[in-house]
Amino acid sequence: MGTIVILTLKEALRRRAFLGTLIILVALYGLTFLPKAFHQAFGGSPESFEMGVNLMILFGVDIIKFFSSVLAILLCAGAITSEIERGYLAAILPRPLHRFELFLGKWLGVMLFCSANAVLWTAMLWLSVVLQGQPRAEMWHALPYVLLYPVMYGTLALTLSSFSSAPIASMFTVAAGAFAYFSDHFLRPIAAFFDVKLLQRLVYLSEWVLPMAVLKRLVQARVDALAPPGMNEAPPFASEQILLFLRPPVRALDITYVGVYILIVLCVGLLIFQRRDVQ
Amino acid sequence: MWAIETRGLRKVFRSLFGRDSVVAVEHLDLQVPVGCVFGFLGPNGAGKTTTIQMLIGNVYPTAGRAWVLGYPAGSIQAKRRLGFLPEKFQFHDFLTAEELLRLHGRLTRMERATLNRRIDEVLELVGLSERRRSRIREFSKGMQQRIGLAQAILHDPDLVILDEPTSALDPLGRRRVREVIQYLKQRGKTVFLNSHLLSEVERSCDYVAILNKGRVVKQGTLDDLLVNRSVVTIELHKVTPAVLEALQPIARKIQPIDERRVVAEVEREEQVPQLARAVVMSGGELMSFQAQRETLEDLFIQTIEEEEGK
Repeated sequence: MGTIVILTLKEALRRRAFLGTLIILVALYGLTFLPKAFHQAFGGSPESFEMGVNLMILFGVDIIKFFSSVLAILLCAGAITSEIERGYLAAILPRPLHRFELFLGKWLGVMLFCSANAVLWTAMLWLSVVLQGQPRAEMWHALPYVLLYPVMYGTLALTLSSFSSAPIASMFTVAAGAFAYFSDHFLRPIAAFFDVKLLQRLVYLSEWVLPMAVLKRLVQARVDALAPPGMNEAPPFASEQILLFLRPPVRALDITYVGVYILIVLCVGLLIFQRRDVQ
Repeated sequence: MWAIETRGLRKVFRSLFGRDSVVAVEHLDLQVPVGCVFGFLGPNGAGKTTTIQMLIGNVYPTAGRAWVLGYPAGSIQAKRRLGFLPEKFQFHDFLTAEELLRLHGRLTRMERATLNRRIDEVLELVGLSERRRSRIREFSKGMQQRIGLAQAILHDPDLVILDEPTSALDPLGRRRVREVIQYLKQRGKTVFLNSHLLSEVERSCDYVAILNKGRVVKQGTLDDLLVNRSVVTIELHKVTPAVLEALQPIARKIQPIDERRVVAEVEREEQVPQLARAVVMSGGELMSFQAQRETLEDLFIQTIEEEEGK
């Protein structure tokens, strides 16, 4: 399996994903210097500068979540069926290795690559704020949960790629992510404001289908201290029940659910790849 | 023990909702002796590649069973002892020839020292020693096929399955593949060769099986299958109905080419003089008489035509 992991890492580098990594590194570095640039240009209190830095960190964490997920989808969506169609696996599969070794090797390779990128980007984010004399550790506290984003999306894309081509696998993964985002950011407030039970159930269902909102809460809990005052305050009109629906608390089982979800999706992909004909 | 044995092997490909189905292989019984070069022939769509894919474990049979060197086809034990050159393949072109072989050696769990030695040997064998540090993307199609052959024999397998190994090769490349096949045969290895180049198969193989519509329609040693059968091209001053009538009882097949030439096929070589006698006795003015032993191509075409006519 180690050979497949190394091969997958080499393939990822060959696809110039590393170039994308560098661009994001530079972008993150530049981004965090924006508050300083504004502060120097227009002046302002030290508190407003600190708040600006905090906002940039929150934004930076979101960028890391987004791009590490995109990277994982791009690398995983074409990992199985597209490689079969292009003939890459024709000479590898007859080798004395189990199919699960190939599948897990690819999964592990992509996850290592995406995780390494996310760590690198987080380090850049941290370094740039340290250089501005504003050291923060929240991004490191959030990192283990941020890493679950590429793992979740990559696993879903790899599972879809075990029976569909790269465009279809990536399209469905992005569609699932878009639905989860739409459900959390648009359906949830609508369902809460108008108290529509059906919509509320749909929001709960979407959390089960793709636990992106659960992950968001887990990350948010680690970086909440950086949020400016009032940003996370509940609307004054809301009842306790609606508040609970709008901002569900982080539960102990959340991380377990995300872990089990990833494991189940991975097993489904493994099972499909194990049983399918490869030619 | 057979190198390859199949019993009632069947493969049906079904569409997603099972509405359409295509029978690719139908009750295939095949025995490939150990240590021989076995030609696996058949027209396009006969089920050759699907059979090979079942033997290496890439495709699951719908029914029946297959064994490779005594192990169930597709098992790790079977895979450990077989080498395979696919018909359609693409190697990771950012690797060099040496890196590619090293990758395949590691996947086969070869020891480092053995792997280093074998890389040198197989690169020499396929004539790519000089290009060991070149990237695969710089290779021509023929060179890629040769590096494919090298990866197939790298771990010194007991059975080598070659799916169209000469399709992209020039005559020199084809000769090299023949030499590799002979080298493997001399070392007691079994070679299972799927090729459309029947002249190549005839030069390399001891045994052949002809597949049509997923079934083996003819199987045996080349000597048995081609024994004595001859094709005679008779040139006359004019082909008359009397000549054709005289040839009828002797030849198993008569085919007039034009006004002057007719091709007759006889079951046994001893019948060739009888043909000449019949032509002369029927008043035909014989200009030339050329007998040649039936080739594998003749046998193949005849077998398939007979099957299609059924």
